[in-house]
Amino acid sequence: MNAIWAIALKDLRLLLRDKGDLFWVLGFPILIAFFFGSIGGGGGKRAVMPVAVVDQDHTPYSAAVVARLKASDALRTQEAPLDSARLLVRRGDLVGYVALLPGAGENFGFGGDSTSGIEIGIDPRRTAEREYLRGLVTAAIFQSMRGSFGAGGGGRDMIQRSLEKLRDDPSVDAATKDRRSELLRSLDRFMTALDSSSVDGGAGAMPGGATPAGEDDGGPNLRVVEIAEADSGPRTAYEVTFPSSVAWALIGVCMSFAVSIVYERITGTFLRLRLAPIGRAQVLAGKGLAAFLASLAAVTVVIVLGAILFKIRVSSPHLLAVAIASSAFCFTGVMMIVATLGRTPASVAGAGWAIMMIMSMTGGGMVPLIAMPEWMQRVSNFSLVKYAVLSVEGAVWRGFGWSEMLPVVSVLLIAGLAGIVIGTRVLESRDH
Amino acid sequence: MHAIEVASLRKSYGALTAVDDLSFTVAPGEAFGLLGPNGAGKTTTIGMIVGALSPDAGRVVVDGESDPTRPAIRRRIGVAPQALALYQELTAEENLDFFGSLYGLAGARRAERVRWALDFAGLADRRRDRVGGYSGGMQRRLNLVCGLLHDPPVILLDEPTVGVDPQSRNAIFEAIETLKREGRTILYTTHYMEEAERLCDRVAIMDHGKILAIDRVDALLRAYGGAPTVEIEFADRPASLDVNGGTWDGPRWRVQSERPVEILQQAMGAGAAFQHVSIERATLEDVFLRLTGRRLRD
Repeated sequence: MNAIWAIALKDLRLLLRDKGDLFWVLGFPILIAFFFGSIGGGGGKRAVMPVAVVDQDHTPYSAAVVARLKASDALRTQEAPLDSARLLVRRGDLVGYVALLPGAGENFGFGGDSTSGIEIGIDPRRTAEREYLRGLVTAAIFQSMRGSFGAGGGGRDMIQRSLEKLRDDPSVDAATKDRRSELLRSLDRFMTALDSSSVDGGAGAMPGGATPAGEDDGGPNLRVVEIAEADSGPRTAYEVTFPSSVAWALIGVCMSFAVSIVYERITGTFLRLRLAPIGRAQVLAGKGLAAFLASLAAVTVVIVLGAILFKIRVSSPHLLAVAIASSAFCFTGVMMIVATLGRTPASVAGAGWAIMMIMSMTGGGMVPLIAMPEWMQRVSNFSLVKYAVLSVEGAVWRGFGWSEMLPVVSVLLIAGLAGIVIGTRVLESRDH
Repeated sequence: MHAIEVASLRKSYGALTAVDDLSFTVAPGEAFGLLGPNGAGKTTTIGMIVGALSPDAGRVVVDGESDPTRPAIRRRIGVAPQALALYQELTAEENLDFFGSLYGLAGARRAERVRWALDFAGLADRRRDRVGGYSGGMQRRLNLVCGLLHDPPVILLDEPTVGVDPQSRNAIFEAIETLKREGRTILYTTHYMEEAERLCDRVAIMDHGKILAIDRVDALLRAYGGAPTVEIEFADRPASLDVNGGTWDGPRWRVQSERPVEILQQAMGAGAAFQHVSIERATLEDVFLRLTGRRLRD
């Protein structure tokens, strides 16, 4: 076992010293993931957010807010009943929903209780999108308010009605009434002044120190409701591209070690290994162990970088560990087979890359599995890259359980074992 | 018991017979040379002795063991392959440390053997430099000591001086002579006759996979090299010379004789002035020429 470790550590040291190999093993997959992730929408901040809008208020004000939201370039909206909107968000079909509850139009959404106002429903993990959506809704509220204070908008009448209603409401204590009344009067003065000064934008500072986007009585009644997604789809493009780039990391390691086996054979170091008091199988086991460890390390680095820098989710760390280990094992076997494809580094590299490119193209290394047409997804069943990518995706965003992961991992392990056995036998037979 | 015994060894690659019914023995502590041109079958023979190649027929016994692939036997054999078997991206120290670990050396013992090997190869000062930056001679010296790390009693050196500068060649010769003095068994392949003459107690002359002659160097010279050659270049060619035989080439006269000094005295009796005189002993090159009709480096 010491000899196997010695060979593995030597090979890993050689890999680290070869900057070219290191680039193909680590740098290239990360670049691919970053490149395709960024052109595919990146972290989602700049992507158009699909949201549902729910109008239960049915007032001119709520209609105006809905119209503003629909007009936003940052949103792709669809109207839906509240229950449907919640379901769509929970399933991950939509990023969130904006519901204007009954009474939202009263007081322009200021004041009220938890049954009125505006409700934003979104997954609590989508922190960036939540704040972005809150900002868009706030902007829509103030733009609608501003419109109401223009000619024929009826805004001032609404404020007067609200003041009267507030004055007559026995459920509100005197101090709150004073605060809200002052707020509504300030709002009236502010919006009127803003409209007459032709200043663009609707969310300026309010007189009297009130803040439009504030909480409680200082701003609109805007609540965020946490709707946990069922993790049924990738949240950002990076969640697709980083698992896909795992394929490139595996291919990089596979090709590097396959070529190194042939290179060692022609340069004589392999002969010295074979003349040592260890078996041929141990020599190849050392090589395989090095490839396995390098694959583990490369894939782990790619995924960890994706999680840290691009916030990709890992729905199951345990399954991810199993997926990475199985994929690394599979491509160790592939490496052994590739090493038998030629007798010179050039022939192995040529044949190996040709096969790898086909496996990558059909297996999700280039075109994400999720974006493949049905016929191509059927073809991809013959590519080991598919199972490696699928296993990692399963642990990242597909929400696989053990029952879904097991068949995929089984394919990887069986293919890896077959590759190791066949590759080792062919390589050993060539030594005679 | 012989240190190495090779009996009726045969190995073919397709239609090419690389080694053809080869037999020889090497005694413990003996330096034995396989001398022959490129393609004579020397490296294939070494490959079969160390178990890297399987013979088609015949038998190899090393230290009484007929299976050289057994770890116990491999620990008793040290090999310096003809191809430089070194990792260019590792330092000399890292190469030695790695190969030492394959032979079960560990801890202080391994560190001590690595230090010894670096000193023996004269590379202690460059031990932390990557091998890729070494000269050809330095790489050859390192290639040699990588096979000696585990202190083997039987050493197989396959053309260990190919492509090295004279300084490194001398260093390698001195290293091998040290190993010889220590009583190690050495099997040395080369196509340089002067190396075989200097380093080997006995020599087998190989060509086309066969051994043509095998004996001590002086015996081979006696048997196949012919008598020493006397060559005299006269200032003026004498009218007559009272010596039988010989050939003239202008003023230059050559003759082979077992008594070269007597020939010289007789030539002096002719009274003609000499410009140049030489007496050349036969070499293994002459032996090879006599045995094959070709020169070693043809």
